[in-house]
Amino acid sequence: MNRYSRRRPRLAAAAVAVIAIGGVIAGCSSNNSNSSSTTAPTSSATSSAPATSSASPSTSAAAVSTSSCGTKPGVAATGTPIPLGGIVTDQSGTSFTDISNMAAAYFACVNANGGINGHPIKYYIETEQTNATQIASEAKQLVQSDHVVGIVGNTSIIECSVDSSYWQAQGFNIIDSGIAPECYSTPNSAAVNMGPRYSSDGAVQYALTQHPSKIVFDQSNVPGTTYIAAGPNALAKAAGVPITDDATNVPVSDANSVAIQLVDQAGKDGAVVLNFTPPDALVILEAAQKLNIEGNVKEWGCSTPCNTDFLAKSLGSKWNGKFFVNAELTPPDPTTSPAMSLYRGILSQYGKAVSGGIGSFSQMGFTEAELMVKALESVTGTYTVASVNAAVKALKNVDTGMLCQQWTYGSYSMHIPNNEDYTVTPDNGEMVIAPNGGCTQISAVDPQIAQYRSEAGTAPSDPTSSS
Amino acid sequence: MPSWSEFEPFIVSGLALGGVYALSGVGLVVLYRATGVLYLAFGAVGAMGAFLTYAMIQASLPDWLAWIVCILFGGVITLIYGMIFGPPLARRDPLVRAVATLGLTLILFGAMDLLWPPTGGEVRSISLPTDNGGFTVAGLQVDWTQLIGLCAGVVLTVGTAAFLRYTKLGTAMRAMANDREITATLGVPVRRVEAAAWFGCGILAGIAGLLLADLVQLDPTTLTFLVISSLAAALIARLRSIAVTFVAAIVIGVVHDLLTPITSLTNYRDMTPFVLAAIALLWVSRHRTVMTRSREEA
Repeated sequence: MNRYSRRRPRLAAAAVAVIAIGGVIAGCSSNNSNSSSTTAPTSSATSSAPATSSASPSTSAAAVSTSSCGTKPGVAATGTPIPLGGIVTDQSGTSFTDISNMAAAYFACVNANGGINGHPIKYYIETEQTNATQIASEAKQLVQSDHVVGIVGNTSIIECSVDSSYWQAQGFNIIDSGIAPECYSTPNSAAVNMGPRYSSDGAVQYALTQHPSKIVFDQSNVPGTTYIAAGPNALAKAAGVPITDDATNVPVSDANSVAIQLVDQAGKDGAVVLNFTPPDALVILEAAQKLNIEGNVKEWGCSTPCNTDFLAKSLGSKWNGKFFVNAELTPPDPTTSPAMSLYRGILSQYGKAVSGGIGSFSQMGFTEAELMVKALESVTGTYTVASVNAAVKALKNVDTGMLCQQWTYGSYSMHIPNNEDYTVTPDNGEMVIAPNGGCTQISAVDPQIAQYRSEAGTAPSDPTSSS
Repeated sequence: MPSWSEFEPFIVSGLALGGVYALSGVGLVVLYRATGVLYLAFGAVGAMGAFLTYAMIQASLPDWLAWIVCILFGGVITLIYGMIFGPPLARRDPLVRAVATLGLTLILFGAMDLLWPPTGGEVRSISLPTDNGGFTVAGLQVDWTQLIGLCAGVVLTVGTAAFLRYTKLGTAMRAMANDREITATLGVPVRRVEAAAWFGCGILAGIAGLLLADLVQLDPTTLTFLVISSLAAALIARLRSIAVTFVAAIVIGVVHDLLTPITSLTNYRDMTPFVLAAIALLWVSRHRTVMTRSREEA
């Protein structure tokens, strides 16, 4: 009896402690997990309760009308839902959920403004942790359990490599943000972004215009580093500039030594080009800044993930005109086009789950959703895998308002429809277009770019993407 | 092979990294010597405190209040764990006691993942006022936070060693780590002494978490598992000597960074703590065997 009576207070204390810890945790949190890690139809969820934005303060267009995203402003869609799906990487150090969450925000806007001919979009987001078995089963779940008729918003380190054959066998033409080679080199995947390889090409291409004596290219040590480095290496070698390839384990825990090594390798007249997600790029750049060695090289560059105002704000003015970031999409800060206003408005009204706010990732999600909506709107009759994916494939010379060029899917053996880019640089907490950083074609010195242009030609400019 | 001048900056950055390892390593040894528990949740407690600080600063609360909450959170959560799980596990094997702390690690790690999920867009960081200013060594700027990190390790080492050796409470802690039952029989208020040890260790975890979030990265995985590298330093000291732990941590940090400019080894530098720990343990084991044989032959 005594033993039991002694245990009760202990159990009670444990219960109180658990409740207290829970209270502290809940009370102090400033951020809630969204439903992106579940298969809940997020667009439906957000459309019923438009949320306030978590975007950066530069989302000044909160008052902009978002009704232009749909065909019937203010009329909620009530028809049979059109199920769509997407798979994104969400793991420690690497998360692309901002892309799918922004696509979900766009669909929520469409649902609140008439939907697709009265049909709301149900968007299922699956998250994965670079596990091939998990990714394959998620694809099957989307098709067999959720009965999706289209795949959009996929952004994953290895998903294209794992699922490409499956999607092809099932008759899906994917609209994605690509990373793995198969996102660009297969007939049934077309990305709105350039991906790490071609974006790094763009960053190196801009760096070469400053005539550095050497380029040091450092990237996350994740699958596909050799494939990614092949582009920058081809460009540097064609320009006769020596290049060194590095790969750093992420999350970066020894940023000081990484920064010192990069600066030492590049030398006074050299350039350092990074290919990391924003948090890891930031710790390396901040380490260089704290060690006061950021000026010991001619310039710093980075692929598209660094194009976020969060990074510009965190770095401060020391990097103005010193740090150049490839921007695969139209820089939002200096642009006031209707598409950019709609993007800001949707982000503000429906994009609570988009933690990074304004930036390339949310722009990609916006553009992918915009393209899918255009495809869905062109479908006559029922929305099936066959009809929706035929409509996706038929997308041709679409003005997205977010890219230098018009976007085309088409029947090609490979797809790199975005192959012209900007370069931006931080300026007082914002990313602005760098000198001579306007729309520039990625060099066909990269053999993959050359092959795509030989099949698809060069797309016309997108007149709606300028201010 | 790089020249000496190329190695110089890495010695400076290595000292800073060693200071980071020392902070956690010394904290681990302090609690082990006081309670006999290898507290593997040290990193996760500090990380959670750092994230609370981040959340409070984001909510426009005063920075000083956020720092205090971070440090107190470490103390309180560790005290609660120690008071609830310490006594029932007191008679269990040290391995069981260590593994039990992994449970707290996983709970806190999961909570951080839930409350502050990884994101490709948002950049989270904590800056301390001591980040501004400093001095130059070997062409590198050393800021005050890095110096504080290193000095904190030294102060902690000297202060804790003196505390355990010269104070009544410290003596009681050491006695309790040796044999809890006998210490209790001698009239030492075991629960109170244990509570002080747990709370003190938690405070150290909070301080370490705050400094490491600034010095390394505000990332749950990085901060939680940084303790594994620090554990190597503690193992080299065989969880006994605080001074050896400190020196081992510094050596690990410096060797790790000195490998960076060596092209053939740079990709393997993250293995440094474990390789050095394995070498040290093998050396100690061999040295002991030789000593024992010599004694037997004599």
